Amino acid sequence: MQASRARLFKEYKEVQREKAADPDIQLACDDSNIFKWTALIKGPSETPFEGGVFQLAFSVPEQYPLQPPQVRFLTKIFHPNVHFKTGEICLDILKNAWSPAWTLQSVCRAIIALMAHPEPDSPLNCDSGNLLRSGDIRGYQSMARMYTRLAAMSKKG
Amino acid sequence: MQNQEGLQADAEMASVTPIQATEVEDWANFRDDDIMQQQSAIRAVEAEKIPLVGDKEPLSSLAAEYQSGSPILLEKIKVLSEQFDAIRRTRGDGNCFFRSFMFSYLEHILESQDREEVNRITGNVENCRKTLQSLGYADFTFEDFFALFLEQLESVLQGNEASISHDELMQRSRDQSISDYVVMFFRFVTSGEIRKRSEFFEPFILGLTNTTVEQFCKSSVEPMGEESDHVHITAVSDALGVPIRVVYLDRSSCDTGGVSVNHHDFIPAISDAPSGTSGGSETKPFINLLYRPGHYDILYPK
Repeated sequence: MQASRARLFKEYKEVQREKAADPDIQLACDDSNIFKWTALIKGPSETPFEGGVFQLAFSVPEQYPLQPPQVRFLTKIFHPNVHFKTGEICLDILKNAWSPAWTLQSVCRAIIALMAHPEPDSPLNCDSGNLLRSGDIRGYQSMARMYTRLAAMSKKG
Repeated sequence: MQNQEGLQADAEMASVTPIQATEVEDWANFRDDDIMQQQSAIRAVEAEKIPLVGDKEPLSSLAAEYQSGSPILLEKIKVLSEQFDAIRRTRGDGNCFFRSFMFSYLEHILESQDREEVNRITGNVENCRKTLQSLGYADFTFEDFFALFLEQLESVLQGNEASISHDELMQRSRDQSISDYVVMFFRFVTSGEIRKRSEFFEPFILGLTNTTVEQFCKSSVEPMGEESDHVHITAVSDALGVPIRVVYLDRSSCDTGGVSVNHHDFIPAISDAPSGTSGGSETKPFINLLYRPGHYDILYPK
């Protein structure tokens, strides 16, 4: 408990210090609970998610950093490796390939990379995975783009 | 996973599965989290059977395991008992090599009070820190693990306020929050060494066709529970300058008549191995591990 708190505090300071370093990620800690974080990540360019801003929710276990944080999309996204209803993410580093060498910030970077490089062979969203596996790139991209517009872009903009 | 535990684990699975089957009625809602939970439940069951680091047992307990098993193994255990008189088992949770190494090393320091060796390894730990920094690891990702190892090292040396007894060392090695942190320290050290000398290690890493040394470290060295092989052992031995003897107990036999037990000494590549260990030109490892396919335990020489 104490160890995880100390580590998260270090990450917090690092995030404050490096704020400008990665303009695609805005990571923030809950005011009253250092085990709850949220992030806003920009959809990577040249993907159907470009122009969208996606919100992630982090729930950090007491055994952190020996155990991975739980992360899910709060913003609806059409992607083979993200559960369409729950926002759960299928990513090895959030499961058995986790190590304390990862940080909340680098997890965000890994999720952005996953958005650009979906793994249709281990789908959480089968509809999305099937479009890619059947080679219907256009179908996948238009569905993904539609949901990006509906859910991840500001209505005013 | 230990030989004899494989069977037990299977038996355990059989008793767990039906319960799961009734719980999971809707497979659409069966998520990765559930699988992870099931995995940790299985681990918890295993955990009750054997502590992270067990008690010292006479070597005869090893023979007892194979009473109805392979005669070659029984022969080999007989040969083994000429050189070793005790075994200390570790839990088969994928961290058994690092955990055996940890306990064996700290116990050696506790018993030998070899301050020279402590100074030597402390210097090497500092070098490992620099290695990780130069590889681009942020200090805060590894420093807590380094600090905890150095704390244990300090505390096994007697004569200061933080000094601990053998019982306390046992206790700490069984305390997951301390034990796992030290294991993780070794994983960082190992990863740093492999990546620093990636050209040297690359040919020894199996199945490295569509991945890089860096990827290997990220997926097979740094995560807890990933098993170790000769690559990990070579790296941690080199990085810390600690020689390790691994004795192999398997069914292999040679045609030349008598049964013999193979061992391999991992001697640090850098020539600053512990000086006081043998006095002679040949360094005899003070860490002796028993390898049975898939698992490491600690051996005690006579």
